[in-house]
Amino acid sequence: MSVQATRRLVLQWTLRNATCPVLNLRTILGSDNVRQRGFMTCRLLCSTHNQTSTLHQHTDLSQLQLQPGRELSIRALLDMGFTDTQADQLLEAANKGRGGQSEHASSTLMALFVLGLNPSSVLKVLEKCPELFYVKGTQLQQRMDNLRRLGLLEGSLQRVVSHYPQILTLPLRRVNTVARFLREKCAFTVQQATDIIRDSPAVVQDDLGQLEYKFQYTYFRMGVKQAEMVKSKLFRVTLEEVRCRHSFLERRGLYQTPDKKGQTLIVNPKLKDILAVAEETYLADIAMATREEFKVFQKMMAREWQEEDEEQDRDMGADSDDDDEEEDEDEEDMKSGYRQRRKK
Amino acid sequence: MAALMDTRILLRKIKDLRCLTPRRNRVKAKWAGSQPKYPATNLALQNFDATYSLQLGEQWPSVRVSMLCEPKYGALVNNFSTTEGVIADLQSQGCRDFVCQPVGVGALERLQAPGFPLHDNPSTLESVGVSQDVAPPRLRTNIKCFVFPGGDISRFKPSSLFHQPDLYGMLGYYLMDAASILPALALDVQEGHSVLDVCAAPGGKTLALLQTQAIRFLCVNDISVSRTYRLQRVLNSYVPKELLTEERMRITSFDGRKWGEIERDTFDRVLVDVPCTTDRHSVMEDENNIFKRARTKERQRLPQLQTELLLAGIEAVRPGGQVLYSTCSLSQLQNEYVVERAMHLAREEHGISLQVVDLRPITRLFKETFHFAPDPHLGQLVLPHLTANFGPIYMCKLQRLS
Repeated sequence: MSVQATRRLVLQWTLRNATCPVLNLRTILGSDNVRQRGFMTCRLLCSTHNQTSTLHQHTDLSQLQLQPGRELSIRALLDMGFTDTQADQLLEAANKGRGGQSEHASSTLMALFVLGLNPSSVLKVLEKCPELFYVKGTQLQQRMDNLRRLGLLEGSLQRVVSHYPQILTLPLRRVNTVARFLREKCAFTVQQATDIIRDSPAVVQDDLGQLEYKFQYTYFRMGVKQAEMVKSKLFRVTLEEVRCRHSFLERRGLYQTPDKKGQTLIVNPKLKDILAVAEETYLADIAMATREEFKVFQKMMAREWQEEDEEQDRDMGADSDDDDEEEDEDEEDMKSGYRQRRKK
Repeated sequence: MAALMDTRILLRKIKDLRCLTPRRNRVKAKWAGSQPKYPATNLALQNFDATYSLQLGEQWPSVRVSMLCEPKYGALVNNFSTTEGVIADLQSQGCRDFVCQPVGVGALERLQAPGFPLHDNPSTLESVGVSQDVAPPRLRTNIKCFVFPGGDISRFKPSSLFHQPDLYGMLGYYLMDAASILPALALDVQEGHSVLDVCAAPGGKTLALLQTQAIRFLCVNDISVSRTYRLQRVLNSYVPKELLTEERMRITSFDGRKWGEIERDTFDRVLVDVPCTTDRHSVMEDENNIFKRARTKERQRLPQLQTELLLAGIEAVRPGGQVLYSTCSLSQLQNEYVVERAMHLAREEHGISLQVVDLRPITRLFKETFHFAPDPHLGQLVLPHLTANFGPIYMCKLQRLS
């Protein structure tokens, strides 16, 4: 049955029973498998103003525990299908924020149920991200629709929301900027951009500059094309991790930047073998090095990058031109000894 | 605008092969309009990839990554400085003197396993008890060099900043590659010896030799006059004037190859630290790199030059004396080949017979601090490794028999 038809049906039922003093959804709707429709009712009653305005006239409906602005209560939660413990946990999460419970709490719950999540998933989502309580139900709907427009269809959308609920706390503009950035600046196809958002939803919260640097590093310095980037879930890994693992291989001579024609003297390991594996596997199979070496290398890289940034800031500020004419490594002077290294 | 500029710099940084630092003065870019298309460091790396991957096998990637990272330094303590607390300060930073404490705290247990050979060369090694629960053997010498523990990448402060020079202008310590101390240790200078250092500049190993405080007469030479000046300045900052007098020291700028004619059979000990391709330096610095095309002939003539220098050193040492040959390259052509050829020529053309002195005691003693190549057939080789980023240093000791 389509959503619209269901809504109409439920509305009819509700109005028909409007004379009953106490409205208990369970008694109206009977069996458990119409829970879904029950929630539709709630949503219907709560979400849009013009729909609820007529219904508010019925005083009986005011006894309906799930009205907007109404505090969540254990009873209401149990009606929605939560178990006792789940309801307790949910109320705890809802009341945790400053100022007690958010006024949007119930609409948030509606929106999540509409998405098709079962109560335990809803609980998990809200525990993971209590900020969702403060987002209006309408906004949630808008954001979900936006994600659908970006290509996250049912199934994917649920998965993304359950794994990364923070995506729904971000304004539309942010998500769309990131998606547009991926398509325009990084030349991913629409499908690839969707895949990226689906596999690594945290990408929407990344700083765009960092995102661009990561992309350019992988594209130019590692010579990896977009398709491989998506396959290896590049955007799940931090920039430092990418640079570390790549530089380690490069300095060991196991990875070469392809030349103009895209050729190398050796066969480079695939990006997914480098990034998408655990560190032990990477060290054992690809880099063929020990943990101690890699740990020391990471420390050295962190220091090198920090000094690179400092020097860049200094260069941007003033034109410095220090003449280090020292050649020998035996030289005592720290400036020449320690700074005579190649910045990678 | 700022974002655009960032991108350009980023792209420029990234697009360069090996991300050469766009430091303009690295390539005398006062004059150069653009970066070289094929920098000498790349040529060096290609050369090394071809030769050392065969020579070192599976160890080459580890050595390669270490040479491309920042080297680790050691602080050679200046025994002539009257500044107090230098050693205590170094120790408080977490360093240890690897010469008299060859093992760190954790490694002590490993060395106390049975079967660890403690007595090989009784004249130099003083084993403090042979039993298992006593400290491992030490080298009896005045040389002290502090290093940070393995895996620790802290840096030393330059000694002029660390401590003020004392009343006489002497500095507290000298920063150098800790592996370069090994040739000075291996040379085993005894009390009252006369020592020749054929290619001394810029003076790290010379300074280490002087720290033994056992040399009667030191002859220091380098073919380049400008480098000799630098050597002189280093000595002035570290060694008191009493040791720089005519009777104690002589600094010259002759061609080292001629030493066989100048002073035959004179010295007790000779250190021949020859010019080489300075591997670590060649992969990091583009400036005047020996692998640049203009210096190809010079580089190809290096083994010949090295052999001649070693031969001169052999002629200069007295019968019964010892010569130590060292380079900072991994190349067999510059190491084993040169020693073998020089020994051969000495026997054929000059009737000098030589014996190779086993340096394995030194290797065993310092194996917790340095990463040695597993048993090269001639001499010893310190390999750079990320946990002990010293070297590369090759050394081979010869004893003159006739």
